[in-house]
Amino acid sequence: MKGRKFVTVGFVALAALVFAIAAGGVSGATKAKSITVWLQTDAQAANWAPIVAAANAQFQKDTGATANVQYQSWGTHLQKFDATLAGGNTPAVIEMGNTEMTKYMAAGAFQDLTADKASFPNSSTWLAGLAASGRYNGKLYGVPYYAGSRVVTYRSDLFKKAGFGAPKSLAQLTAEGKRLSKKGFSGVYVAGTDWYFAMSFVYDFGGSIASRVSGKWKGALDSKRSIAGLTAYKNFFNAVSRASKTTDEAHPNPYDVYAQGQAASIVGPAWYTCCVGKKYTGVTAQFVMPSHVKGQVMPGFLGGSDLAVPVGADKSLGEAWIKAYTDTTSMKALEAIGNIPNTTSLFDNTKINERAAARSWFVPTAKNWVNVENENILRNMLAEILTNKLTVKQAAQAASDNIASILNAS
Amino acid sequence: MTSLPADTQIAPEPGRRRARGRLTWARAARASVPYLLILPVLAAVVTVLAYPLYNVVTLSFQRYGLTELIQHSGSWIGGANYGSVLHDSVFWHTLLRTVIFAAVNVALTIGLGTLIALLLVKVSSWLRVMLTVGLVLVWSVPAVVAVQIWYWMTNFQNGVVNYVLGAGQHDWYASTFSQLGLVTALIVWAGIPFVTITVYAGLAQVPSELLDAAAIDGAGWFRTFRDVTFPILKPILLILTSLSIIWDFGVFTQQYLLIRPEHLNSSNYLMGVYLFKEGYLKTDFGRGAAISILMFVIVAVLSVVYVRKMVKAEGVA
Amino acid sequence: MRSAASGRRRRARQTGWNLVGIAVFVVMVFPVYWMVTTALKPDDEINSASPTWFPLDATFSHFREAIAGSDHPYFWNAVVNSLIVVGITVALSMVLAFLAAIALAKYRFSGAKMFVALMIAIQMLPQVGLVIPLYVVLRNYGLTSNSVVLFGLILTYLTFVLPFAVWTLRGFLLGIPKELEEAAMVDGSSRLGAFFRILLPLVAPGLVATSVFVFVTAWNEYIFANVLLLDQSKQTVTVWLSYFTGTSRHTDWGALMAASTVIAVPVILFFLLVQRKMRFGLTAGAVKG
Repeated sequence: MKGRKFVTVGFVALAALVFAIAAGGVSGATKAKSITVWLQTDAQAANWAPIVAAANAQFQKDTGATANVQYQSWGTHLQKFDATLAGGNTPAVIEMGNTEMTKYMAAGAFQDLTADKASFPNSSTWLAGLAASGRYNGKLYGVPYYAGSRVVTYRSDLFKKAGFGAPKSLAQLTAEGKRLSKKGFSGVYVAGTDWYFAMSFVYDFGGSIASRVSGKWKGALDSKRSIAGLTAYKNFFNAVSRASKTTDEAHPNPYDVYAQGQAASIVGPAWYTCCVGKKYTGVTAQFVMPSHVKGQVMPGFLGGSDLAVPVGADKSLGEAWIKAYTDTTSMKALEAIGNIPNTTSLFDNTKINERAAARSWFVPTAKNWVNVENENILRNMLAEILTNKLTVKQAAQAASDNIASILNAS
Repeated sequence: MTSLPADTQIAPEPGRRRARGRLTWARAARASVPYLLILPVLAAVVTVLAYPLYNVVTLSFQRYGLTELIQHSGSWIGGANYGSVLHDSVFWHTLLRTVIFAAVNVALTIGLGTLIALLLVKVSSWLRVMLTVGLVLVWSVPAVVAVQIWYWMTNFQNGVVNYVLGAGQHDWYASTFSQLGLVTALIVWAGIPFVTITVYAGLAQVPSELLDAAAIDGAGWFRTFRDVTFPILKPILLILTSLSIIWDFGVFTQQYLLIRPEHLNSSNYLMGVYLFKEGYLKTDFGRGAAISILMFVIVAVLSVVYVRKMVKAEGVA
Repeated sequence: MRSAASGRRRRARQTGWNLVGIAVFVVMVFPVYWMVTTALKPDDEINSASPTWFPLDATFSHFREAIAGSDHPYFWNAVVNSLIVVGITVALSMVLAFLAAIALAKYRFSGAKMFVALMIAIQMLPQVGLVIPLYVVLRNYGLTSNSVVLFGLILTYLTFVLPFAVWTLRGFLLGIPKELEEAAMVDGSSRLGAFFRILLPLVAPGLVATSVFVFVTAWNEYIFANVLLLDQSKQTVTVWLSYFTGTSRHTDWGALMAASTVIAVPVILFFLLVQRKMRFGLTAGAVKG
């Protein structure tokens, strides 16, 4: 009896399996063409989704085809993209982080859009810092999508109580932050290995990460100016931040630290105001990170995304969707929810994140740059500097050589 | 099926004579039974794994990066991938670190798991049910969730572990030893339920009349365990140990998600993360394939002792 | 006189064991407890520096956010997809593995050693290294298109759980004392029929333990599900869950813990369903003597 029951279970399972396949296959085949679009989950948020929906509707009006948008996470989307490249079923449009672009452009993952550049909306006024990430060897592979900059989000009540206004220079902010700091409470919460922020100091002092000299990459962190910038960062961190010296800028999330009342100000994207906690929402304001030169803005890392058409996909439909999604209406809507649009024609001086983008820096556009990030070269350098394991000069020298060898590897 | 007398293979009865030569087709049918029994499993496994295995082996001898992946063709470079890996000191340090890590994890998981299974026998039945439910609760938490919970419990700002230990704001992720200790705690914690439940199921197969006989003979707990319980548990423990060695050597998800890419560098890699970073994050698929094959060979070598013992444990003649 | 003292000693010993058992319970279950209470706590308690041990201000808002929130769509799809994939995987793998385990444990045939070696070898393969070629294979079989991708996933899971299930069931079959088998054998019955009628109840606890393992493994699997299931409406619960932490924006810890709690429920239900069989196996072993 037991045995028969056992075998019956097996047959039922097999039947279910067959049914599952059959049921799957029976679903009506749509006559209309359809493309797949990969966007990051940021676009799934309640205030962002309507923009995507509007673009899909526009796309259908323009081409008669439907777009199936699949949302991906930043941590896994590249491995999935590699799998579809191997399997030959890439999406028609993919959102790529601007630091991820160079490697894939160099490998030939995208189709050449140069010929159609003029037909993309606002292409003559594309934000230069962002648009640069979509170009390789003079050809256009990625259309700029949106950008983000870093600002300082602060407790206006604490600053007012201490008699501080928005600081005009790095020295002023350092002094003010130091006054506000105490045990377990940061005047300015900065994570030790936040290299996006730390490198801003390097660029502010005129240094850089690496530069290309006659076809070869040369590390530039060991230059006098870069070292001056790193030293300034170390002094700033020690004065105003009580964060862990070895932790990164997402663990914990700075706005969580802020919401728990453990920081007077935090550095990060402008949208941090969403999550500062009920208690402090009314007393939160923002200012642009000041340079060490009085009155100037410290150059900020220009993060952002591009949209590209992978090889093997339908180029005309892919381009059509990108055009529908990056037209002026969409860009205005993206700007309204706190992003920096891809075109300077829409820039508005009241927006703090756009003001912060006035001076920006970007990572070296080398195809191996992602390896430098993955090896945590910059993070380790910062950790060694802050924990005094190495002097600034030693750490910078080691990192510089490391970066050069990685960038120059074939 | 025929009505010939039962064959001798499960219950050797020297008195019975085997029917020789008669009705050869019936004998052929009977001889084919085991092959038919294993056929579905074989078919499932071969259809899925044959090509990927072939692919990984051939890739390991090729230069195959992102560009080659997109063009679907690589270039033959012989053993250069293997050479570069075997000459990489990071590989050897990682290997040593992983062997030690696996040894500690296996010992703790099997040891503690078996002890808890024995405990399950001793406690009152209401507690037994509670413990079993508790263990299944632990087992049902996916690795990706368990990592989040553990991270949350040990985080720098307000982790409850720091609070309980009175450690203030201690950064558990600052040193390699502490990081690997955390990963070990997580893996042992998550691995105990499976070991305990499997061993407990094995204990259920110990016939109570044998236990009673031992008690009547005046045997203490340890002697009963050694002479009655352990021989029955032995095949199961061998399986669990071999599996644990294989799994703990290849740990990837827990280290990658708990320690996180920002803290992972060549001084604290385990083999799983090393393979992922060197092969797939760097999109050097040829090298990744070579590392995969090397890992397979190493695991096979490490577990061969247990596996041999296990295969030899043919309870049947 | 003797029985009273030894009775007291026995009770003291029993209490001792129970105390140890309770201690083990508390230590093992604490993280799960922390997960469930975090799911019930309001946000300010979650983020506060001093932990709240018992959620007196319990709220179900996180559960609502996790299951029905607009930021986390497709929850019910994910549950159905997981149930289909896992249900079929468990049922098929138990049947197929039991058959193969019988062959290995009770028959001698040439090629058995090779088959065992293959089962063991497959488990030694580093899965991380196989993801992309496996994706290509499934694509070549046409199993990556939306309508049949779940079948592709089931096939993948079978490949990786079958060796383990075969190996473990073989161990359980070998562990059955020969006396029990001999005593239970009836003359004149066919061999295969005998296996089903006699061995199946004896190895029931082993089957249960193995099926729970297969269920849990398949339910919690992430690596392959993540790469194969590209369309959100076809994703399983682990992939659905990964979206809670995959965003570069705000990680809603309350909702994440609530979602995790909800996902664990089917596994517990499955175990409660089958654990009765384990106790049945216990008594069956004794009675057959």
